[in-house]
Amino acid sequence: MRETRREFLAAAAGAALVLAGCGGSSRSDGAQVTLDFWNGFTGGDGPQMLALVQAVEKEHPEIRVRMVTARWEDFYTKLPAAVASGEGPDVALMHVDQIPTNAAHRTIMPLDDLVRDLDLQEDDFAAPVWRAGAVDGRRYGVPLDMHPIGLYANQQVLSEAGLDPESLPTTRDEYESALEELKGKGVQGHWVTPFFFTGGHQFMSLLWQFGGDLTDPEATRATWNSDAGVEALEWMRSLIAKGYSPRNVGQDADSIAFKNGQNAFIWNGAWAIGDYGSTEGLEWTLAPLPKIGSVAAAWSNSHNFTVMRQPTPDPQRLEAVKVLIDGVTRSPAWAEAGQIPARRSARESEAFRKLEAQSALARQVPDLRFAAAAPGLSDVRESTLDIAVAQAINGSRPVREALDDSARRANELLALNREKYGT
Amino acid sequence: MKRAWVWVALIALSVIYLAPILWMLVTAFKTEEESAASPPTLLPSQWSTEALDTIFSSSAQTPVPRWFVNSLVAALGTGLVVVLTAAPAAYALARMEFPGKRLVFGLIVATLFVPPIIFLAPNYEIVEALGWLDSLPAVIFPVSAGAFGVFFLRQFFVGLPKELEEAALLDGANRLQVFLRIVVPLSRPALATLFLLSVLTNWNDFLWPLYVLFNPENLTLGPGLGLLQGANQTNYALLMAGGLVASVPVLILFAVAQRYIIEGVSRSGLKG
Amino acid sequence: MKRATPWLFLAPYLLLFSAFVAAPVLYGLWMSLHNWDQFLPEKPFIGLENYANLFTPGSAKAGPFWDAMLATGIFTLFSVPLLVVLPLGVALLLNRRFKGRAVFRAIYFAPYVLGVVVVSMVFRFVLDPNIGALNHLLGTTTPWTTALPWAWVSLIGMTVWWTLGFNAVIYLAGLQDIDRSLYDAAAVDGAGRWQQFWNVTLPSLRPVTVFVVTVTILASANLFGQSYLMTQGAPEERTRSAIMFIAEEGFQDFNLGSAAAMSYVLAMFLMALSAGVFFFFRKRGAA
Repeated sequence: MRETRREFLAAAAGAALVLAGCGGSSRSDGAQVTLDFWNGFTGGDGPQMLALVQAVEKEHPEIRVRMVTARWEDFYTKLPAAVASGEGPDVALMHVDQIPTNAAHRTIMPLDDLVRDLDLQEDDFAAPVWRAGAVDGRRYGVPLDMHPIGLYANQQVLSEAGLDPESLPTTRDEYESALEELKGKGVQGHWVTPFFFTGGHQFMSLLWQFGGDLTDPEATRATWNSDAGVEALEWMRSLIAKGYSPRNVGQDADSIAFKNGQNAFIWNGAWAIGDYGSTEGLEWTLAPLPKIGSVAAAWSNSHNFTVMRQPTPDPQRLEAVKVLIDGVTRSPAWAEAGQIPARRSARESEAFRKLEAQSALARQVPDLRFAAAAPGLSDVRESTLDIAVAQAINGSRPVREALDDSARRANELLALNREKYGT
Repeated sequence: MKRAWVWVALIALSVIYLAPILWMLVTAFKTEEESAASPPTLLPSQWSTEALDTIFSSSAQTPVPRWFVNSLVAALGTGLVVVLTAAPAAYALARMEFPGKRLVFGLIVATLFVPPIIFLAPNYEIVEALGWLDSLPAVIFPVSAGAFGVFFLRQFFVGLPKELEEAALLDGANRLQVFLRIVVPLSRPALATLFLLSVLTNWNDFLWPLYVLFNPENLTLGPGLGLLQGANQTNYALLMAGGLVASVPVLILFAVAQRYIIEGVSRSGLKG
Repeated sequence: MKRATPWLFLAPYLLLFSAFVAAPVLYGLWMSLHNWDQFLPEKPFIGLENYANLFTPGSAKAGPFWDAMLATGIFTLFSVPLLVVLPLGVALLLNRRFKGRAVFRAIYFAPYVLGVVVVSMVFRFVLDPNIGALNHLLGTTTPWTTALPWAWVSLIGMTVWWTLGFNAVIYLAGLQDIDRSLYDAAAVDGAGRWQQFWNVTLPSLRPVTVFVVTVTILASANLFGQSYLMTQGAPEERTRSAIMFIAEEGFQDFNLGSAAAMSYVLAMFLMALSAGVFFFFRKRGAA
């Protein structure tokens, strides 16, 4: 599955910019604008985004973009501080669930005017993503993509174990028997990690598959300690107990093992497509998650374009920001980084359909779940649920007890946040 | 007999000390795939500069050489500010009589016992109010304000013989002249020690710069190298290459100046 | 002498001191009495609530805070004795005349100048449970960075590796300052090497030891970079240190007031500990 990446990228970006040229207003009065653009693409997706940005620069010579990447967790601590001290960027990509926090901190500004100018409608996007980018009726984010997790398979390992590398398991029975088969050949097929990458994403997907949810719709109360949550974690633990996964897997070690052919499956995010695609000698394929619970579901998040508040807003810069956002969201080329474009026109383009792996993930779109959002919610999840998942997977605490305790503490923190943010 | 035992211990310890550094060195020359190979290869199957190229080429993203310069400026700047402010203050406290002296000295010494974590939250707001966030003054001045330098130099000045200074004063020299022409030359070793200790402390600082510097071109090595650790993907060849680029200059600097650095550190124990 | 002279000498330092030492001590206390989000315009006064939250057993803030305090405590308890005793041994090895002494001294000191980030990155790699060199070398599958007690063994071992040379150099200077005639006198009295060490070396090193113990306790209690970079708090935030937790509270969750309150609680512990060390050695010194 190694497409000729460069060629595709050039073609797709070019096509998008022809379109962008029609829609966007590219007034070139000779004055150069240099935009600072921040994001968290520290992995293989960084160069892809840079290529897109450069395509916009080529089409609009009056715009120069300085792109800066930091790990997402550092990004979210730096961004509000930088903006508050006047050292922030003009435009940034952030996860849709971070928008309420940043809106409350007045780090980002409402984009109702920009969206009107670009004539963007809910209809142009996948509805749940589009709706998640608004806070109290005002729009703060323009969705760029969706990045769910999916089932990656190492085809070579499957073949060697006598399994069909072309048809991947889709149900619980199929998945478990494949793992049993692999175990018989001495391969621990699915490594379960206690970390958010990838253990946390797997848990949330399974929680939804078993019919549960993270919070109530208003995100005021944690509900992950439901029976569905217990079932989800018990299933993950059973993979270790049955010997399908080693114990105490390190951070990213599951992904490295996948590339080394030490395991067969990994439930990883769309962002891994670029990494696996550029790993020499790795034969892999990607499919929607198997249905382990009662409904098909997969965790997803979305990168949204946001615009930073400035001490003195500069219309010329805002105009350039508009051009950048329009150009990048239109382009199907971002899909090369493994992402599913949020904009319908890009998702339905011929160029996108040619991408096997990404299209396989896109088949999941109707089943994708996005966590409800409220200011501070993702930090609460991080300091409660993520720890409970790790405790349960490491076996240091019984599943139900870990989930109950984390939900109780989360509810307390959510109450404190409501008081602080006045929501 | 005894000598042999000592040599075995010294060499065994040296292996423990050198092995991780050499491992960083060879890994920096592997490809990303080979760096994560299991079992690991001892030497690169083919020496690759892929990781080092990334460090030096994507200069806007991870300008390691720039971070190195920033760190150097911050560390040397801190050393200078500490010596330039602490020395005159310590001299006044050691040699001059004035009302309020005991109170001032008492206050300064008392803060020696205040754990630095106390300063994290308020100094962030103070630095922000000064407009210093995301700039080198933020990582120079707050750390230079510690009481150790004044305390350390005052103890040293008190121990100097008074006679020369008194003779100069009788000859009509003023305090500043005495301080600059007599005390400073006599105190060179102590001033150098304080300078080196301040440089080392700042060089090793990680927590504070992590939260007050934001843009890549303004980072010091600590938070900068942290950027190389991806959130969902770890490229160990790249990490080790970054570590190598950051380490080689300091190790050379250290090899050249190690006598002074080590003597500086050892002196801190005796006088502190 | 003009009345202004001393103040002019003091002025530059006092300016720094007031702005970044004296003022913050009071300002931090003030912040700790507020629901202080540095990015919200309103910072409501809430009295002692930030402190009360920490002392309400089972509350959402108290649990993780005391877990983090415990983590720092465990680290300090095990790293300090090692960092007090092992460097003394190394200093004794180096405290003799032989060719290449300076080379060994430099090798053991070198990690200190590399800084915590480089050292943590190297050890994260060497100790990786699945692809790390150490497990390969030993033929084991020990979860060095992902399970207890191994994560502590790794953090402490790495810290010893990193800072042993620093303490050893201080001891070495202390050893070289000991008056040779004391050893000669002891030898005349028929004392063997062991007795000489016990009766001459150790007592003469007392002031240096007090310094090393104090500095090491404070450094260990400041544990941050090692667990932030190498274990990232794993497993389950149980190696998340007090400082790491305070920084997260302040800069990740934007509760700078609550972080300030936690800093004061941690500081009280540290000051009590330093006082304890001081009196312990003073009593021993007087006896």
